[in-house]
Amino acid sequence: MKVRFTLNGKERSWDCEPGESLRDALRRHGIVSVRDGCGGEGACGLCAVILDRRAVNSCMVLAAQAEGSEILTVEHFSRDRELSIVQRALVDASCVQCGYCTPAVVLALHSLLARSPEPSEAEVRDALSGTLCRCTGYEQFFEAARIASRRIRDPLYAEARPVDYRPELALVGKDREKVDAAYLARGERAYVEDRVEAGACHVALLGSPHAHAWVVSVDDEEARAMPGVVEILSSRNCPDKVYTTAGQGFPEPSPHDQRMFPRKVRHVGDRVAAVLAETPEQARAAAAAIKVEYELLRPVLSIAEAKAPNAPIVHSGEVSYVSGEPPAGSSTAGDGRDDPVVYQFPLHADPHRNLAASAAAGIGDVEAGFAAADLVIERAYKCNRVQCTPMEPHVAYAKVEAGRLVLHASTQVPWHVRRIVSRAIGIPENKVRVIKERVGGGFGAKQDIVVEDLVGYLAWKTGRPVFLRYDRAQEFIASRTRHAMEIRVKLGAKRDGKLTAILMRLEADTGPYGQHCLTVPMNAISKSLPLLLCDNARFEVSSYYTNLSPAGAYQGYGAPKGSFALQTALAELAGELGIDQLEMIERNRVGSGARIEILKSLGEGREGSAVTLGECGLGEMIRRGREAFGWEEPGAAGRRAKEEGDWRIGRGAVIIQQGSGLPGLDAANAELRLLADGTLLLLSGGADLGTGLDTVTAKMAAETLGLELQDVTVISGDTDLTPFDKGAYASSGTFFSGKAALLAAEDLKAKALAAAAAILGEPASGLALERGGIVAGKRGRITLAELGHRSSQGEGHGELSGFGSFKTEHAAFPYGAHFVEAAVNARSGEVVVRRYHAYQDCGTPINPSLARGQVHGAILKAIGHSLYEEMLYDQEGRCLNPSFLDYKIPSSLEVPEDFRVEFVPVADEVGPFGAKSVSEISVNGAAPAIAIAIHDAVGAWVREWPFTPERVLRAMGKLGGALPASRATSSRHSQ
Amino acid sequence: MRRTERYARPASLGEALALKAADPAAAWLAGGTFLLAGDARDKPESLIDLGAFLPRGLSAAGAALAIGAGTSFQELADSRAAPALLRRAALGMANRNVRNRATVGGNLGANRSCSSLIPSLLVLGAELELAEGGPPAAAGLESWLAGPRGLVLSLRIPAEAGRRSACGRWARTACDLSVLSAAVSYRLSAGAMRDLRIALGGLGPRARRFPELEALFEGRPLPSREDMEARIAPLLRPIDDLRGSAEFKRFRAAALAAELLRAAAGQEADA
Ligand SMILES: Cc1cc2nc3c(=O)[nH]c(=O)nc-3n(C[C@H](O)[C@H](O)[C@H](O)COP(=O)(O)OP(=O)(O)OC[C@H]3O[C@@H](n4cnc5c(N)ncnc54)[C@H](O)[C@@H]3O)c2cc1C
Ligand code: FES
Ligand code: FES
Repeated sequence: MKVRFTLNGKERSWDCEPGESLRDALRRHGIVSVRDGCGGEGACGLCAVILDRRAVNSCMVLAAQAEGSEILTVEHFSRDRELSIVQRALVDASCVQCGYCTPAVVLALHSLLARSPEPSEAEVRDALSGTLCRCTGYEQFFEAARIASRRIRDPLYAEARPVDYRPELALVGKDREKVDAAYLARGERAYVEDRVEAGACHVALLGSPHAHAWVVSVDDEEARAMPGVVEILSSRNCPDKVYTTAGQGFPEPSPHDQRMFPRKVRHVGDRVAAVLAETPEQARAAAAAIKVEYELLRPVLSIAEAKAPNAPIVHSGEVSYVSGEPPAGSSTAGDGRDDPVVYQFPLHADPHRNLAASAAAGIGDVEAGFAAADLVIERAYKCNRVQCTPMEPHVAYAKVEAGRLVLHASTQVPWHVRRIVSRAIGIPENKVRVIKERVGGGFGAKQDIVVEDLVGYLAWKTGRPVFLRYDRAQEFIASRTRHAMEIRVKLGAKRDGKLTAILMRLEADTGPYGQHCLTVPMNAISKSLPLLLCDNARFEVSSYYTNLSPAGAYQGYGAPKGSFALQTALAELAGELGIDQLEMIERNRVGSGARIEILKSLGEGREGSAVTLGECGLGEMIRRGREAFGWEEPGAAGRRAKEEGDWRIGRGAVIIQQGSGLPGLDAANAELRLLADGTLLLLSGGADLGTGLDTVTAKMAAETLGLELQDVTVISGDTDLTPFDKGAYASSGTFFSGKAALLAAEDLKAKALAAAAAILGEPASGLALERGGIVAGKRGRITLAELGHRSSQGEGHGELSGFGSFKTEHAAFPYGAHFVEAAVNARSGEVVVRRYHAYQDCGTPINPSLARGQVHGAILKAIGHSLYEEMLYDQEGRCLNPSFLDYKIPSSLEVPEDFRVEFVPVADEVGPFGAKSVSEISVNGAAPAIAIAIHDAVGAWVREWPFTPERVLRAMGKLGGALPASRATSSRHSQ
Repeated sequence: MRRTERYARPASLGEALALKAADPAAAWLAGGTFLLAGDARDKPESLIDLGAFLPRGLSAAGAALAIGAGTSFQELADSRAAPALLRRAALGMANRNVRNRATVGGNLGANRSCSSLIPSLLVLGAELELAEGGPPAAAGLESWLAGPRGLVLSLRIPAEAGRRSACGRWARTACDLSVLSAAVSYRLSAGAMRDLRIALGGLGPRARRFPELEALFEGRPLPSREDMEARIAPLLRPIDDLRGSAEFKRFRAAALAAELLRAAAGQEADA
């Protein structure tokens, strides 16, 4: 049917299907800025348009309903590549992170300002309430709204500049525009889905309806004959090899235990078959026509079930080791039926007992330590599965060009994708090119090869262009989640609070496959234990296979859980000893010059060594928090007993840490070329997933060569064009990729000076590179532009290009102190985080507002995990809440009223310009700080996250018993 | 997944009713926030869009207030003519983009147990104006909810002087669908609650008045919250689901009802 309306000021008349949504019609006509984040549930707002002057979700409007209407999309505000007042404000407020939500935010704020030019903060929150953003924590959106509103009256208005962290430098330590912010705010094509060409084929996945079952047969005969079907893959005809999907350095500390299509499905949503067809509808129809016979097995749905003596075995195939011997007493002989499990080296595993990996070590003598204590406590903490929920789900587009596979990917690890895909397909790496597009949020989920193996293989096999994009439900059940964990902490202390022994016993649920099965739980130890100085400390870690959704990397890795358990236990111990919890931290924490012995036993798979810390900013961070929260005021030792009606106010404080990449394991490279007009092309291996890494590396180049940010263009994460980089994980971006860029810039600078020296006829040692890109000597001056020009001339000095390669043995620890004030409703169990202050040492903040945005975003995620988020399963292992309607991530309305981030930089001796990592660390504080605040408010310890009102009431004794672990199948639908 | 194959946008009520008579399985389409939600869900095969003719906005109808069924939640929240109770209830809906589209009529048609609006409409004694083929006729809201039929054209809120009312809800996050939703209304005379109405949602197949609760307190002075909670809770029969256990919902709903009964006392009485 014909539908006529005005789109961005132009009359349109489109042919639409009666049931076609306005979102789909717009996208079909090339308006890609209208996105899909929730599968049309109306819960994400990323498909927003302004329809007759109101922001609405276009997924729930039929195109036909728009007849006679006026529709605006972000393109209306992006004409002639200008920025609108709102777009400019969002860029200036540094809140265009991954940018996937930005067009929707632009529309929401424009329609707000149109009805209320001077909105209150409540109005701003309300205007954004329909738009989910997982990156920013919304706080800087509020600032952007304020800036835009002020500029309506005063076009030149600018916010007061934040602290300049490095006054002696031109760019580093101050705010500059994020290099990709403007075009993302304009809603330009930038993501994988925007690269799909006409004629591309589409994949429909047939996921397992069962948590644990043999795939006895797959009958695809009828499906193959259906219209548009190009290829169907299943366990019968996929490559017969196992690999790991963990995007880690090779050899991976994760077992190779996953076949492209397993012979035995191990979780609901596991791959059974994939149909490639010419349209998505044809692919779905054919997938529905595939007949599968399953032989059902009892599923393993908890750590306790995995450990039970007669537990069903998740991986019953042959177990082998590429190097090293199987652990003594472990079982290796397979059942002759299941897919094999191949360890690259031993991880103290025994898959036939569902043990995917384990580790134990320590220092001193914990038994002696407990014996010497005046008080010993032991507590158990539980952390449930949470989902990364990047707004852009997993997506890949592959095609074969000139005999090579070209893979457009939304990934954190282009080089690991290339390696794993080439091996899975069985072609050499020179035949594969991976192009990382703009990533619409990764958060760890995109450290794994979740779809690229399949998409790459289908393209290679059929020669057709292949597109696959997960829907939101698939993203929940078949992407990557944070490992569920149960952590027992035993602490001994003297009466004065000094710890005598720490024992952490941790059990993790790695789900059906072993990606990150050892490293995530180990990280829970290695990023929590070294915060406390204690001569006797020990840990035991075990990671079990279950039939729940796959676990993997998620911002913070294991640290948020280890931090929750250890920091909360320390506060519990403080309570028992009658010591203020912050004082307890002060008596035991690391500080300047401390020797951290426990690092001997935390070597990331290698021999570790104790470290003597240089300067440490924790003391200053705690001092600032104390002051801001009036810590010494009445009620300081114990319950605050502040009341407001039913609400009790409590507070909590914790210290946190992370690392900056993996010293000794990882490497990053960059190349910097001087172009003929004196501008720069930076080829960085780094994978910017919305964090601003490309801006960081650009600054390294511009600062070093005396140029401005706009003089540098960054090409990054393209395995053909840019040199190797480990990828964006383990908080390595600024520290590793940034440092590689800095080294490349220094190399180029040295070469430029040498070339200038030859031209000017004076020694390079006497030359200086001044701002503006001018080489100044005693006798003469020459610009980079002239040097660049000569590089392209026959009589010149050849192209000037610098190379930087960075690896290190140096560990740079970022630290933080987080302070929370929470209101707990003693009647209803509700918890509201009112104040959240983060004091953070990331070394030199390269771009302070971008760094602050990383912290805000991480904290709001962590508040979500602590209070609302939890994947729920029924007794058959089906996830009950795989949508944003029922898995609640924080919206603009959950942002704390007083949400503050302050940097307390302690420059690192190795990091680029003294920088350390910033983003991951900030997810580690919320859970323990809120748990401590809840206790402070109502006197109850909640030891399982999320701290739902129901759990709080149970902890308070207002409701009986514990929550059931899995929910009855009959209650799938809520009232 | 079933897709919509037929779509019509009649210009008048008469045309709409004729279309419906010719295609009885066709569904009325208002804001679409319920009917069209979820890419992977079945959609009605045939839709009749009400957008071109359904009454929209608030107006006086004698002493009563008429609310067009096509009024959006945001319009209701913004309307100065609407009772404060309804404005608040409308704002209780999830998020701005949905409020901009969702209609009052669609909310009744969706008839969700946890509706943000229905409990408030129930305690205000709302009546419906319905079209079922013949001339528009009136119907009581509660009986209509028990057996929805026809097309809702508008709602009538009778003027009842001296009432004090309050509404509220419980949801896991601000943008969540309500898990529990509630409204109460009564007159205070000589310290006692008279003509007490209590309506709750989220505790059964649909939102409804709870005469069994009303009877507990009718004609009595306002008890303490603890008293009320203790007496209300045993009469509630929620079910376990992923949003909360039955035990929690019973506890929470009792606390909500008791809180609203006390809050209403502090409200100004309607003129
Ligand atoms: C993200 C999200 C959040 C939501 N949050 C809430 C919430 O907080 N509170 C809440 O109450 N609801 C909520 N809803 C549910 C729902 O969409 C609303 O209740 C809304 O009011 C439905 O109105 P609509 O105009 O969009 O109806 P439609 O989707 O157009 O129709 C809904 C039903 O009503 C029928 N219908 C429509 N108009 C009429 C009429 N005039 N007469 C008779 N039948 C009619 C339709 O045939 C259909 O069966 C939410 C929905 C979404 C997607
Ligand atoms: S896709 Fe429309 S609201 Fe999420
Ligand atoms: S910037 Fe909002 S989702 Fe990434």
